Amino acid sequence: MKQKIIIISALALLLALVAFMVKDFFFSKPENTNPYEFGLRQVRTGDTATAAFAETKQIRTTLEEIHGLATNPSGNIYVSGKGGVEIFNPSGNPQAKFKIDGSAQCIALDETGLIYLGMEDHIEIWNKEGKQLAKWNSCGADAVLTSIAVRGNDVFVADAGQKVVYRFNKTGGLINKIGMKDPATGVPGFIVPSPYFDLGISRDGNLWVVNPGRHSFEKYNFDGKLLSKWGKASMAMDGFCGCCNPSNFALFQDSLFVTSEKAIERVKIYNADGTFRCVVAYPSQFEEGTKGLDLAVDKQNRILVLDPVKKLIRIFELKNK
Amino acid sequence: MVMKRFLALVFLVFLFSVQSLSVFGIQRFPKPEFESGYIQPETLMPAPRAEMLALLDIAVLILSLSVVTWLVLKKRSRKGVFWMSLFSLAYFGFYREGCICSIGSIQNVTLALFDTSYVIPLTAIVFFIAPLVYTLFFGRTFCAGVCPFGALQDLVAFSPQKLGSRINAVLGVIPYIYLGLAVLYAATGTDFIICRYDPFVGIWRFNASFGMFVFGGLLLVTGIFIARPYCRFLCPYGVLLNWSSRFSRKHITITPAGCIQCRLCENSCPYDAIDIPATSKNPEDKRTMGRKLIFITVLIPLLIFAGGWTGSKLHEPLAGVNAKVRLAKQILNPPKDTGKPETFEIQAFKSSGKPQKQVFDEASLVLKKFYLGGWILGGFIGLVFGGLIAGRIITRHHADYVPNKGNCFSCVRCVDYCPVK
Repeated sequence: MKQKIIIISALALLLALVAFMVKDFFFSKPENTNPYEFGLRQVRTGDTATAAFAETKQIRTTLEEIHGLATNPSGNIYVSGKGGVEIFNPSGNPQAKFKIDGSAQCIALDETGLIYLGMEDHIEIWNKEGKQLAKWNSCGADAVLTSIAVRGNDVFVADAGQKVVYRFNKTGGLINKIGMKDPATGVPGFIVPSPYFDLGISRDGNLWVVNPGRHSFEKYNFDGKLLSKWGKASMAMDGFCGCCNPSNFALFQDSLFVTSEKAIERVKIYNADGTFRCVVAYPSQFEEGTKGLDLAVDKQNRILVLDPVKKLIRIFELKNK
Repeated sequence: MVMKRFLALVFLVFLFSVQSLSVFGIQRFPKPEFESGYIQPETLMPAPRAEMLALLDIAVLILSLSVVTWLVLKKRSRKGVFWMSLFSLAYFGFYREGCICSIGSIQNVTLALFDTSYVIPLTAIVFFIAPLVYTLFFGRTFCAGVCPFGALQDLVAFSPQKLGSRINAVLGVIPYIYLGLAVLYAATGTDFIICRYDPFVGIWRFNASFGMFVFGGLLLVTGIFIARPYCRFLCPYGVLLNWSSRFSRKHITITPAGCIQCRLCENSCPYDAIDIPATSKNPEDKRTMGRKLIFITVLIPLLIFAGGWTGSKLHEPLAGVNAKVRLAKQILNPPKDTGKPETFEIQAFKSSGKPQKQVFDEASLVLKKFYLGGWILGGFIGLVFGGLIAGRIITRHHADYVPNKGNCFSCVRCVDYCPVK
């Protein structure tokens, strides 16, 4: 009797398992929710109270589109975009505005106050009164100029289209190209899947370039020799997220890096050795999908963030100075 | 001396070959990190394997088959087979994570036969053919000590019960249906259902969904009382091995010499795979035998036709799990406004920009394949039922206790019970 019960129970269990297979395969309904969806909701959270910086000011721009941001030594703020350039004083009051033909994707100032604009495929030089002083030759049909930095007689231009950095003299003469893949010298080559490719010059006179596809910063001397690099790919706060980030950066207090990312819109500060330091702004402080959060630091060590969706210059200051 | 040099050369070639693998390991493009806080979906197949390691798998398979066959037929050693099955469990199960396995290779071979664009891996071909070839000559030694599924179930068969020939025969139809469905879905490029319902893959990889863990766990619980339930009543590859084994000439025997009818082995097989002597004192007369023969001759074609007709009528529900057919159905019959988001298929279809007509054309083509497939599958199942009935009607006479060549797993348990040495 006991044996019969065991056999019947075991057979019932076996048949139940077969029934499970049949039901699961033939009668399960298509799902409406994806349990494996790569949701960014979790990483888009963050308590602004825990950020080291607080937003203290917003400056509204009047340009149709805004793309580039720069500051001069006296703290004036320059914004470039579609059809013009706007200048504000450190308090955010408009000082000047002039029209340009086309869209300036990036902007930089030299020591004399001249304005360098990256006009998609070429560079234009203007003064702050709105007079065009020079227009350089096109960098090529595939050029997408995304960042400029000026130091002394050198003008460095990042070309996302051709994945290279140009070093020009101030008359537009090409001195050398930097960052082209060269296994002999260990230069890995830039991976730039989207038109966000930033560069800057540190106080010690070296060029820092973002290699967004590798989620890293690369340090070159002006002759193009790779000196060092750092960076970490991670959705977590201490790394750079997605396919290609950071999108923009600015050098801060001589040796720190302020970085911004797209996809998970966040602004952070890293130490010179690449270790994560603190958060300036969390994703919750930006519209979802905001791209091109250009950055600048002014003489008061305020961090300026260009918000192209809200058409604002957003100013962040350290909470506990 | 020459031998030593040769071995040294082979060793060096192997060493440098392994070194060369690192060339492929150079990171050419760092993959983005998309894992923080993310739950990875379980995949049916593990990560691809280096070509050399795949060859190693083939070598281990052939070597294991050879060793087990030797242990079964020459040494008649249950202990040896047991230790080999533990090795197979460790290598093909836990190390190789159950992939590739001979059971699943049925689908690779089928897909390769029906879809010329599918390039079948060499390992899949060898894992499909090698056990069948060994079985054709030596019986199911693969099941005895090489298949990790069998090895795992053997470990839990603590209290196997005899089920009786009727239950064994009826449940024994399930693997045929499973095989038919697996071939149909692989041939139409719909799904690899054997892999989808691999009960032990979660145990090999420690990563199955909760449902599949429970499924595998319950099957092992069943296996405590019904020895090797998957092998006997589910395994589709077992069907092919069963057929091959029936023709094996060197199949294991219970006794090494003549059977002395001591009956000691009668209850030794946990799988009910020993045929007890069937002698008839009153043999059937020719008329009865003739009637039975006519009955079977008429019945089997009828069952084949009835099965085929039923299968063809069921081709739409059978095709309902095909992604193209399911999408077409959802487009034709959109769900009523329940406030729920659209299904993935509809979302993907809308974002693809694909015209509806193309979806319907593709679904229609799949349905045609299933119509033909339904006929074949149904006919096959009809044939299986016919064979089952025929097997029950026709009595085969034999005088000794012998392993049932088709069902015997060559596990060598029965041998120890035989007093004839």
